[in-house]
Amino acid sequence: MSKASQPVRARRRLALAAAFFAAVLCSGCSVQQPAIAGPKQADAHPLPFKGRLIGGDPGELPPAVAMSLSRDSQITFSYREELTHDEHHAPMLLSAIDPLTYAGYPMGEYGVTASASLLISDGDRVIGDYTASSRIEKPYSLLSEPTHRELDEAARAAVRDAIDRKLYNDAGRLAESVAGTE
Amino acid sequence: MKLRFVAAAVVLAVALAGCAAQGPAFQRAEGPPNSAVIYVYRPYSFFGSLIHPVVECDGQSAAIEPGAYHAFVVPAGHTGCRAGTESEDEVEIDADPRVHYLRERISWGWLVGRPHLDPMDQDQAQAEIQSCCVQQP
Repeated sequence: MSKASQPVRARRRLALAAAFFAAVLCSGCSVQQPAIAGPKQADAHPLPFKGRLIGGDPGELPPAVAMSLSRDSQITFSYREELTHDEHHAPMLLSAIDPLTYAGYPMGEYGVTASASLLISDGDRVIGDYTASSRIEKPYSLLSEPTHRELDEAARAAVRDAIDRKLYNDAGRLAESVAGTE
Repeated sequence: MKLRFVAAAVVLAVALAGCAAQGPAFQRAEGPPNSAVIYVYRPYSFFGSLIHPVVECDGQSAAIEPGAYHAFVVPAGHTGCRAGTESEDEVEIDADPRVHYLRERISWGWLVGRPHLDPMDQDQAQAEIQSCCVQQP
């Protein structure tokens, strides 16, 4: 090896090391907004009967109910969903002086609780009454920050899935109940 | 020495007081029938007080100072509010004809503070918004 190539190699190594550190630093600079995974969803399929929606938004229903809508059915669905939010935040001064903050340690946490109720009636007779609730929690940090919209969507999807599961578990009884009135 | 300390304290107090919004006290906003009111309020906090991110709700926008609020009157229906600097927060609101509250808060960011729009329940929001004044245009 020639003596002249040694400083070149040293410089190259230094440049590589600098590039590596810059890459590590820059990868930490972009704020990630992660997809919030809810629980694994039940395979959605229609209920063994059709129903008319008398309460709730047709675009905001559990999939099983949405697939089982009919305008002229005597069976009725009434669906209601509510979200409550909570959060906690570390004191800003503490976050600022805590070196872990800059390594991505959470500065606080958001929580959303979704509660839903579904009433299935045949005229005045209630043939099914289902309630469910689900909670989604997600910390936020300098590196990763969910939006409230993402949390709300995840909580809604989870509670709708919980209602669907209850419906599928009770589908046999519901079908018999509906058949008995027809 | 004592005089310097007092002078520094006075300057600091004036500087901090200057950061809070000035304006009329909270007044209830009224909208036409079949509309919703979204109050976005920002309780006073020294941290991030120089940052006034624009909050957008249903095509309307307002930059809210610390200690102020803005009432967005929007048609009832699905809508959303957003605010952002180096990251963005977004809230979806099912704006049935009633009142909704969002609390704006600034948290740490790499280069600039990041706004958060926290949906608030009515009781807590009504208590907190009383200390905020109307955001002057």
